[in-house]
Amino acid sequence: MKGWRGSRQGGDSASSPVAVERSLTSSSSIRLGRVQPQAPGHRTVFCNDRDANHLAKYKGNAVSTTKYNVITFLPKGLYEQFRRVANLYFLTISCLSFTPVSPVSPITNVIPLSLVLFVSLVKEAFEDWKRLQNDMTINNSCVDVLQEQRWESIPWKKLQVGDIVRVKQDGFFPADLLLLASTNPDGVCYTETANLDGETNLKIRKALEKTWDYVAPEKASEFKGEIQCEQPNNSLYTFTGNLILQKQTIPIGPNQILLRGCNLRNTEYIVGAVIFTGHETKVMMNAMNVPSKRSTLERKLDKVIATLFGVLLCMCLIGAIGSAVFVNKKYHYLELWISGDSQQFNPRNRFVVFVLSIFTLITLYSPIIPISLYVSIEMIKFIQSTKFINNDLHMYHSETNTPALARTSNLNEELGQVEYIFSDKTGTLTRNLMEFFKCSIGGETYGTGVTEIEMGAARRNGLNIKEKTASNTAREKGFNFDDARLMHGAWRNEPNPDMCKEFFRCLAICHTVLPEGEETPEKLRYQAASPDEAALVTAAKNFGFFFYRRTPTMIYVRESHVEKIGKVQDVTYEILNVLEFNSTRKRQSVVCRYGDGRLVLYCKGADTVIYERLASGNDELKKISREQLEQYGEAGLRTLCLAYRNLSPETYESWNEKFIQAKSSLRDRERKLDEVAELIEKDLTLIGCTAIEDKLQEGVPSCIETLSRAGIKIWVLTGDKLETAINIAYACKLINNDMKQFVISSETDAIREVESRGDQVEIAQFIRETVKNELQKCHEEAQHIVHGSTGQKLSLLIDGKCLMYALDPNLRSTLLSLSLSCSSVVCCRVSPLQKAQVTRLVRKGANKITLSIGDGANDVGMIQAAHVGVGISGMEGMQAVMASDFAIAQFRFLTDLLLVHGRWSYLRLCKVVSYFFYKNLTFTLTQFWYTFQTGYSGQRFYDDWFQSLYNVIFTALPVIIVGLLDKDVNASLSKKYPQLYKQGIDNAFFNWKVVGTLACFSVYQSVIVYNFAIASSTTGLTSAGKILGVWDISTAAFTCLVITVNLRLLMMCNTVTRWHSISVGGSILAWFIFIFIYSLVFVNKGTYFTIYVLMSTAYLYLLAILVPIVALLGDFLYQGAQRWFYPYDYQIVQEIHRHEPESIGAGLLEVGNQLTPEEERRYAFALLPRERSKHTGFAFDSPGYESFFATQQGVSAPQKPWDVIRRASMKPKSKSPRTSRH
Amino acid sequence: MDASTRTKSRSKKPQYSRFTQQELPAWKPILTPKWIITSFVIIAILFTPAGLLCLWASERVVEIIDRYDDDCLPDSYSTDPDSFIQSNNTNKTCVRTLKVPRKMTAPIFIYYQLDNFYQNHRRYVKSRSDKQLRDPDEADETEDCKPINGNDDGPIVPCGLVAWSLFNDTYKFFKGNKAIDIDKKDIAWESDKKYKFGSNVYPKNFQNWELIGGGALDESKPLSEQEDLIVWMKTAALPTFRKLYGKINTDLEANETITVVIQNNYNTYVFGGEKKVALSTANWIGGKNDFFGISFLTIGGVCFFVAINFILLYVLKPRPLGDPSYLSWNRNQGAQ
Repeated sequence: MKGWRGSRQGGDSASSPVAVERSLTSSSSIRLGRVQPQAPGHRTVFCNDRDANHLAKYKGNAVSTTKYNVITFLPKGLYEQFRRVANLYFLTISCLSFTPVSPVSPITNVIPLSLVLFVSLVKEAFEDWKRLQNDMTINNSCVDVLQEQRWESIPWKKLQVGDIVRVKQDGFFPADLLLLASTNPDGVCYTETANLDGETNLKIRKALEKTWDYVAPEKASEFKGEIQCEQPNNSLYTFTGNLILQKQTIPIGPNQILLRGCNLRNTEYIVGAVIFTGHETKVMMNAMNVPSKRSTLERKLDKVIATLFGVLLCMCLIGAIGSAVFVNKKYHYLELWISGDSQQFNPRNRFVVFVLSIFTLITLYSPIIPISLYVSIEMIKFIQSTKFINNDLHMYHSETNTPALARTSNLNEELGQVEYIFSDKTGTLTRNLMEFFKCSIGGETYGTGVTEIEMGAARRNGLNIKEKTASNTAREKGFNFDDARLMHGAWRNEPNPDMCKEFFRCLAICHTVLPEGEETPEKLRYQAASPDEAALVTAAKNFGFFFYRRTPTMIYVRESHVEKIGKVQDVTYEILNVLEFNSTRKRQSVVCRYGDGRLVLYCKGADTVIYERLASGNDELKKISREQLEQYGEAGLRTLCLAYRNLSPETYESWNEKFIQAKSSLRDRERKLDEVAELIEKDLTLIGCTAIEDKLQEGVPSCIETLSRAGIKIWVLTGDKLETAINIAYACKLINNDMKQFVISSETDAIREVESRGDQVEIAQFIRETVKNELQKCHEEAQHIVHGSTGQKLSLLIDGKCLMYALDPNLRSTLLSLSLSCSSVVCCRVSPLQKAQVTRLVRKGANKITLSIGDGANDVGMIQAAHVGVGISGMEGMQAVMASDFAIAQFRFLTDLLLVHGRWSYLRLCKVVSYFFYKNLTFTLTQFWYTFQTGYSGQRFYDDWFQSLYNVIFTALPVIIVGLLDKDVNASLSKKYPQLYKQGIDNAFFNWKVVGTLACFSVYQSVIVYNFAIASSTTGLTSAGKILGVWDISTAAFTCLVITVNLRLLMMCNTVTRWHSISVGGSILAWFIFIFIYSLVFVNKGTYFTIYVLMSTAYLYLLAILVPIVALLGDFLYQGAQRWFYPYDYQIVQEIHRHEPESIGAGLLEVGNQLTPEEERRYAFALLPRERSKHTGFAFDSPGYESFFATQQGVSAPQKPWDVIRRASMKPKSKSPRTSRH
Repeated sequence: MDASTRTKSRSKKPQYSRFTQQELPAWKPILTPKWIITSFVIIAILFTPAGLLCLWASERVVEIIDRYDDDCLPDSYSTDPDSFIQSNNTNKTCVRTLKVPRKMTAPIFIYYQLDNFYQNHRRYVKSRSDKQLRDPDEADETEDCKPINGNDDGPIVPCGLVAWSLFNDTYKFFKGNKAIDIDKKDIAWESDKKYKFGSNVYPKNFQNWELIGGGALDESKPLSEQEDLIVWMKTAALPTFRKLYGKINTDLEANETITVVIQNNYNTYVFGGEKKVALSTANWIGGKNDFFGISFLTIGGVCFFVAINFILLYVLKPRPLGDPSYLSWNRNQGAQ
């Protein structure tokens, strides 16, 4: 019935402008809002009407993330392979070898190339197969669809636009849905968008009132709405459309849309209509390829390859000139002057001879560039990351059941060269586990605990404080408070119980937390934008003010002990206004109405802003409280001040009018709201303050110390305030009292004074000048100290505002040079963007290898900016992990990741690369020497097959074994002597010196192999006086070469396992097996019977003994002398520990057994259910709940600065941390 | 739901294996001076006698070499050797006398040696047809032989530059006036005769081309019996090479004079090559070959020298093994 319209309007209108025009005119009654410019037109979805939608030919819901399919695999896969320069080079060579200029048969180059391509393609196919399987699991997961008044479970891929689906609690949305109804009252449902943007706080979506009833299948089947909406686009936070229901047009916005990839929380089930499917869903439109990073070593390798190519050209040039000079018709037996099949040796045209000879010789010398190098390296790295890094028991965190994960295998060796680490603070250095630790109410301080930082400070001062293990401590996540005076209603006996009551109510009411789960104190969980908030609400609960339910207008609190001890009473507070937290306000207020009509404004915020707004008087309390705040700050605690104000109805009403006005204003709403808030947030009464402990991650200080001994400099980039950052830096041993500290802060009186005047231009200018002066002053001083003899270490502390100016192009170099001379740098109050900027500054400006580690969405920028990005996995949202290259569960695992895996990978890769370089150079040089003896004709020395199998069989496996198994010192020594890591930073094992030395030995060895084989073969070589031919001699030479090159590998090894011997022996054996068979197979080749002929001579045996020994003697001597006179550090360490047996699995026991009571306590904490939330700078920064209300009033949620992750994170998996512990 | 999540959320703890934890048992050699000195001394000890043995074997071989290309050119043709060698009317016989320095025991091998002759030139090496040589049915397989592949009379067997340029000087040996028998049998490798050159392949159309390159072949004998050809066609590795001509199965006494009558047919004058005839005995090491002996001795000597030097350095500049003070960070500390 409506089919014809659907087909016209809903189709891909972009391709037919006529249809667009008509569809717009035909629906002139409906004006669509902002249609995305990139996709003109709109789509019409007929709910519950498959036939009507069918004509529009919407795409199915099946998604495919595979790169290839059966048909495209070969062409596309090959195309991808030939985009690599090396493969293209070999393709060219292979093509050349089909022409008559080639001295070698095509086999020589085609076989290795095909083998390499084959291996690469198999790897691609394997990876794509895994992607396909992943897709299939997703496509085949089931969802309930309304069919014939019943819910039928069908796979996701069968889902079509317009279908009505039901999604149950914790289920993922299979497509972009329009929320029709929910089991919750008011059509509200909660979604978690962690997979989209990494935010773990719950978002509220609310169905249109008209559709609230369509919950039951019978009712829902009656739903016949028509949705007109924008074309698919990738904007996650916008949506415009209309629902036409019973001839009524109702606008729909982002608030009614449930996006694929999110999952449902706290709602039994929802009913929705499918709008966008499959690849047209917003999350899929956002799918992006993360740009792959290449390691520095590989880039260095490219240079070496380029050099090799240069050497190759030189060799060709020499040969070609020789050839042009040589050709002469006097060599009558060569018949050069007779124009045969080509002009290649025509003496009358020497230029042609020269040019063609170049091509000939390029083909001949092509093995100088190791064809199998890249594929071998890839294989080695792949195994290193999947088998070693992912399986390392040292990096397995049992508390969160998280092993380490190498998300890319490109950067293994980069881990061995990191010089700068940029670390996030919260969640990375600290646990983001906020615990209510102390508080001060009415000037009285409560809470007896001692923070780790205080203990650390005490230890620095030589005191040894044993923590009191209080038996009666209330222990819950977020609450680590020990003071009997406040617990179980005891606060009623305190000097000022009323103040306490206000304190607790403020905690229970003034927040943006969402309760989740059963409404009992034990089972209920709090969903908070920041863990600080959850800690505060949890504290209120423990004090007897249990917040258990919230609606958009009400807060329900179960209060105990208020009237008298033991009495429990459910109280509701009407929430009239929420004045949101933001970073300029640094405070948050709630206006609520008590049951009895009392109007109160509760406010909590930073001490500075609260103090400014306190009513005058009661200076004593203010003074005491301020002292206590300072104490808390020193102890590394995060403080907040609480205050309240009683409002008279008149005051409130007149203010509320202004507030509503500001809220509905279209321009400068933010600013106006702030201004209105100022009007009511004054004359406050101070209640007290809270102190929350941000606990350090386990093992962080020792890890940082180890890393800095390894020559790695650690920078902390945090959103926290200066004082907190400094405290944490002290606790982490990043800064100590011996260091010279440079502090560049915007929190100076001079700047504050200028700021108070409010002229933005003046402020900017003033700060810029200040920063410039400060920087220059510090820089001079730093230079003085660095060049002085005191050896004092430096540290720099800078805050975000100053950093903004310091990153200015004019000052950047000063900043860089100053910060590079500091051993630790702390940047506080920085934005995600600045984090990335700082990282890039060091990466590009100083050309050092950088690593960023972080856990939250705000770290994504810096994780992507650094050479190596590391995400903390296991507790936070996926965002950082999805952007990272490596994911580890704990900061302290960096020691293993860098000092063990990184160092080894670097060492191994260096060996592999230099060995490849060496073996191919040696091989090609023997060939080169022969050119001089053949009249520069380009005659090959070796048989085709020898040359083609040299790389892929006779020398392939041992080097891979070395790339996997070689280790200079074992893992525990790597960590015991972190200084060994410095050689990676200095790139001591793969630089031009190393390459040069290697090249010298390569030349030496090739000369030995070639000349010995040649020079000793000039006379009869048997007692029968018979003479050997060229193929016999080359076979003998090749035998020597294979033995030499393989033994040379053994000499490079630090450790020799069974596998080394097997592979080296096997390779040599493979050559003999090959030649024994080969020389019997091809009668028509020169190599026929060679090995048997050779075996009848003493020549072969003498040569096979003499040549490898003579060739390797040089290396042996060099290595011996190097070790004796200029030993590397690792060699000394090897010597120190030479008698110690390998400690198998010993390192693993250390973690489990030696738990101090303190650690045990920390473990106990780690075992508690973990909050999945995100920290962004100050305690309250992430508007979740309020944004919902804001959007209700037409304000769109601010777009997040970061991009959206790939669907990889959508894999349905266990989300519940509670079950995962068993 | 619960059950399924529980099974899914099983421990992700990696399994322990020595491979994944990188704890495979390994031998960790440390290249200490003791090791170096020991290995060098061992090499020296082994190589010196081996070198002496090789040298002794080589010394026992008696070798006579005579270069005859220039001397066999009549003076009248010295400015134009080409016309001499290409003419059919010139007398190319040449007589040389050789003196036996030491007793040569049979078998004595006769070699011809060519110089500056690029048998290993790319154009030359590939200009042959191994198929044709083996199988009479593949006589047409002459693609690689161009331009010497055939003419109107059909394909050339054996085709190609290699066969075409067959060496054709002949030697006769006389002790006084008595001719010495030259055994031309069994001068090629057995495998070549058996497998590479067919016993039913006969030369055809050979040296019928406009240019005559070298020796002709007896068309009645199969290729497998044309041992001169077989020897010639085993291309040499270097531009200076020796090939077996025949054997003398009688002993030659010391100070005997033998006369060689040479038919100087082969044209090396045009490219300035040299021709030599060589008589040599052979033992297990082959012909006269000092190379192995000298190399072994030299290497043995070098190793001995290095070992001594290392011992001296070991004494003069000792370094305690595994002394932590040699660690770079400790050294730097010491410097400050």
